[in-house]
Amino acid sequence: MFIDFYHSFYYSLLIMASVISLLFFKRADKTFKWLAVLIMLTLISELVAKYISFSLHRSNAVVYHIFTPVEYFLYACIYKNFRHSKKWDRILVVSIGLLVGIEILNTIFFQPLQASDTNTMIVESVFLVFLSLNLFIKISESPVYKNLLKEGVFWFNCAVLCYYSFNILIWGFHSIKVYQLKYPPRIIYDINLLFSGLLYISYVTSILLNAAYKRKFTTSYE
Amino acid sequence: MNDLSKINSADVIVFVIAGLIVIGLLFGFIMYFIFSYRHKQKDYELLQTQKDEIDRQKLLLEKTLRELKLTQTQLIQSEKLASLGELTAGIAHEIQNPLNFVNNFSEVSNELLEEMKTELDKGDIEEAKAIADDVKQNLEKINHHGKRADAIVKGMLQHSRSSSGVKEPTDINALCDEYLRLSYHGLRAKDKSFNATIKTDFDNSIGNINIIPQDIGRVILNLLTNAFYVVDEKKKSGVDGYEPTVTIATRYIQPPSGGRAVEIKVSDNGGGIPQKALDKIFQPFFTTKPTGQGTGLGLSLSYDIVTKGHGGELKVETKEGDGTTFIIILPS
Repeated sequence: MFIDFYHSFYYSLLIMASVISLLFFKRADKTFKWLAVLIMLTLISELVAKYISFSLHRSNAVVYHIFTPVEYFLYACIYKNFRHSKKWDRILVVSIGLLVGIEILNTIFFQPLQASDTNTMIVESVFLVFLSLNLFIKISESPVYKNLLKEGVFWFNCAVLCYYSFNILIWGFHSIKVYQLKYPPRIIYDINLLFSGLLYISYVTSILLNAAYKRKFTTSYE
Repeated sequence: MNDLSKINSADVIVFVIAGLIVIGLLFGFIMYFIFSYRHKQKDYELLQTQKDEIDRQKLLLEKTLRELKLTQTQLIQSEKLASLGELTAGIAHEIQNPLNFVNNFSEVSNELLEEMKTELDKGDIEEAKAIADDVKQNLEKINHHGKRADAIVKGMLQHSRSSSGVKEPTDINALCDEYLRLSYHGLRAKDKSFNATIKTDFDNSIGNINIIPQDIGRVILNLLTNAFYVVDEKKKSGVDGYEPTVTIATRYIQPPSGGRAVEIKVSDNGGGIPQKALDKIFQPFFTTKPTGQGTGLGLSLSYDIVTKGHGGELKVETKEGDGTTFIIILPS
């Protein structure tokens, strides 16, 4: 099933991340519980995608068409817990609505269910980079943590910022230069798998740090 | 890289350069964020320490303020008791008069009753009735003086009690007169050599005005006690031909702010107040009396009673060597 190093790397890390998330689910704060749910749902979606492509021999892109808005919704739930303000909540709700709308329009007009929804992924990445930068600003405005490097929120936010910045670059390049090719170069997807694996390592690290230090950071940025 | 050969090499170069730029920017941003956060965190910790210290100081200050308020309450009570002490001799003198009447009239009544019995034995009913009328008159006088003593004792108790804070119609002239006599006789009882001419000039048209009688009584007593004290001091200093005089006067006035007000003037022909002390006389704990003779709270409390308690004014006019006049203005 996992045919090369990149796939093995990604899936083994995703499985490991899911198992650790499950183990530390009870000890984590509400925000990191959402993150654990996100990791586990990602694993499920990847397994479903693999099943469709390997067992049913059909395009698994439909899974990503569905999962991208779901994934963004879970991120919105995580970011909602970092700040308690009505304005912030409104921004999140509007961005979810926008993303769902974009996904529908993209599916109808640009990237049908059989094709990867890279356009929606780019928009999702832009939104997540915005949320991540916003959270960084909020953290710096209220420096309550003694050691930032021991904070789960810091590693989580760094991971989101780095991964989704690269996502914009990778999927942007993909949409412009690779998408129309009959046999697109594998390295684009391999880089993505590599970064995805690193993303889940960072997420697990943030869950473990949160469980270890039990920081109640959610009330810090009001 | 073979896969990438399907794409224009210039595009690959742009992609790689863009990737490197993104890596550089992200790395730079995160490092900058960590260092700037650490810097801010140090400031925050310092701020937090200062805040904790401020909170600690605040708690300490609140505790001190509570203690200060308690002490102030105790001092006010001490001041009341001190003024009561000054009054005691005067009160004793005031009670002595009705008591003398009660004693004398009761003795006379006793004798009259003996006479009445004799007249009844003689069978002279008319004479017995006339004596009974005299006894009745005596008993009425005894009752009148008993009530007078009762009023004095009640007044003394009212003076020592905490203010009710309720304004009630009060005859201001009677109040001034009562405290004038009490303070004068009080000083006389303590110092037999003390003597002063007392002048009163009451405006009888004033009638009753709404005041807290215990509080205004305390103010008048304080001003009068001070006046008697300064004239006595001047007399003791041996000024030739000096006749100590204390005057208390009341009248209606029309203040510039409009309406009507009652003015109470307490004047003395003592040594006056030196200019350097004039600014401080209404400050708490300021006194020119020797240690142990004054709390320094009398005028301060009087000022508060008149201004805060009654919305009035307490002013002072003085000329060094000639005397002082304290003016109380109470809105009526």
